[in-house]
Amino acid sequence: MSCRTKRKWMQFCLEVVLLLMTLIIIMPLLIMLLGSFKNSTEVTAFDLSLPKQWLAENYKTVFEDGKLLSAFKNSILITAVSTMITILTSSLAAFVLARRITRLSKILYYFFFLGTIIPMQMMPTIRLFTVLNIYGGYTNVIILYTAVNIPFSCFLYTGFIKGIPRSLDESAFIEGASTLKTFFYIIFPLLKSCNITVLILLFTGIWNEINIPLYFLNNPAKRTLPLSVYQFFGMYGGSNWNLVFADLVLAALPVVVLFLFMQKQFIAGLTEGAVKS
Amino acid sequence: MRRNGHLYSYWLVLPALFIFGIFFVAPSIYGIYYSLTDWTIGKDSISFVGIQNYISIFKNSELRLAICNTFVYAITVVIGKNLNGLLLALAVNTKLKLRGYLRVVFFLPCVISTIIIGLVFVPILHPNGILNSFLTAIGLDAFRQSWLVDRRIVMFTIAGVSIWQWTGYHMVVYLAGLQGIPQSYYEAAKIDGASALQRFRNVTFPMLAPAFNINMLLSMIGGLKVFSEPYALTNGGPGNASQVIALEVFSMFGRGQWGLGTALNVTLTLFVSIICVPILINMRKREVEE
Repeated sequence: MSCRTKRKWMQFCLEVVLLLMTLIIIMPLLIMLLGSFKNSTEVTAFDLSLPKQWLAENYKTVFEDGKLLSAFKNSILITAVSTMITILTSSLAAFVLARRITRLSKILYYFFFLGTIIPMQMMPTIRLFTVLNIYGGYTNVIILYTAVNIPFSCFLYTGFIKGIPRSLDESAFIEGASTLKTFFYIIFPLLKSCNITVLILLFTGIWNEINIPLYFLNNPAKRTLPLSVYQFFGMYGGSNWNLVFADLVLAALPVVVLFLFMQKQFIAGLTEGAVKS
Repeated sequence: MRRNGHLYSYWLVLPALFIFGIFFVAPSIYGIYYSLTDWTIGKDSISFVGIQNYISIFKNSELRLAICNTFVYAITVVIGKNLNGLLLALAVNTKLKLRGYLRVVFFLPCVISTIIIGLVFVPILHPNGILNSFLTAIGLDAFRQSWLVDRRIVMFTIAGVSIWQWTGYHMVVYLAGLQGIPQSYYEAAKIDGASALQRFRNVTFPMLAPAFNINMLLSMIGGLKVFSEPYALTNGGPGNASQVIALEVFSMFGRGQWGLGTALNVTLTLFVSIICVPILINMRKREVEE
């Protein structure tokens, strides 16, 4: 065999091996998807067989019993508001941190840095919200998601803004624009790709997170999607795995669909954070 | 110039600083005080008890097991995610036709909530589940396990699920690192007569250091803070065999032992800082050198 055909052959083998490996990822997800259409006895095989009868009404049951719609709305509200506030406050802060080269800005930078590593103190935070009389509702969850996500976003924005030439803001200042005006009319529009990165990072992070709602939402009507899924599992996990699977599929669907439509942005967005900082 | 003498006024940092400082940093600091008290549900007054809570944490065998489990889990996921991620990245980085497809499939689990992934694996890992049937089918009967029931292996099973979910993420970070290596380095090494293994050791490996550091750091932090994987898969069971620090903090919260729970939470913070700060300093040093 010549060197070239040997190489092609190796390449082909590698490709087949990797293709088989993707089955390791796909199979569990497929078991969930197929199981969600089966009846409650058929599903207990937990295998890759096709349902004898495709029961779409599982989804209807789940939608009503699992109170999925209200959980979905709660998740949207919490994710959207905290993402917006985080983007606004951290890009604004990053503008100053990127432009000023002083000891104070460096100290502030490291102060924010702390937040990317250190775990939250749950009970003292609850104490604070209880004193402020906002414990248990949407507000404290939104504030917390903002507080937790500011450090990393600030980080990404600072790095990005450093790459935007200073002369742009200087010429705006000469024209007499205020700092805020300069930021919102000149800088912010240039942050587009960084905004998408941060948006994807925050959206998937907050949407999928369970710890904060577990501690900070005490009203079942306000629970988020992952939390409702876990409670649904507690109710039906013994007897109706088909419904549990349908619930899981519905809960995973929004992010998965977004991911499939915007693969490039998602993969870049979620890893760029790591690579850039 | 302006009132405060500078166009880039620190006032603009204030909103972010306020939210982060008040709601994240402040509780971490006065939390240390609460960790030294007997703060419990239904008690009107809080009194200072010194390091009593910390002593009872280290005296309690269940909590010692949870701490031990957390470290076992963290080390397992760090090794598993990095090794698999690197190997996959090296494989995918060759000129494959399926490259785009492979990247998407391996990455897919990362966008799904850990709680969902955990629940999907509950029946798969059941003693009569598909994983064991599969092992029998391919003649590996000896490898059948009671994955989530056997207390000796349950932590490794949980770590395995997490590795399954996040390997694709670390793969992409390594891929980004690999693609940052100029092709000319390899050509130069080839001309000098370096073998494939030598090229990996002397070109690829050192050039991957930044990606390696980031992946280590992220998987280590995630490993030490672990909560939702065991919460979904076993909820600490069987018995206390898969308890981890964050789960214990949560159950202390539920039982109203807030002072003790805070002390355990502070302990976790200490562990994370002691392990991760050196990695971070190492990263910064490298940046300065370059």
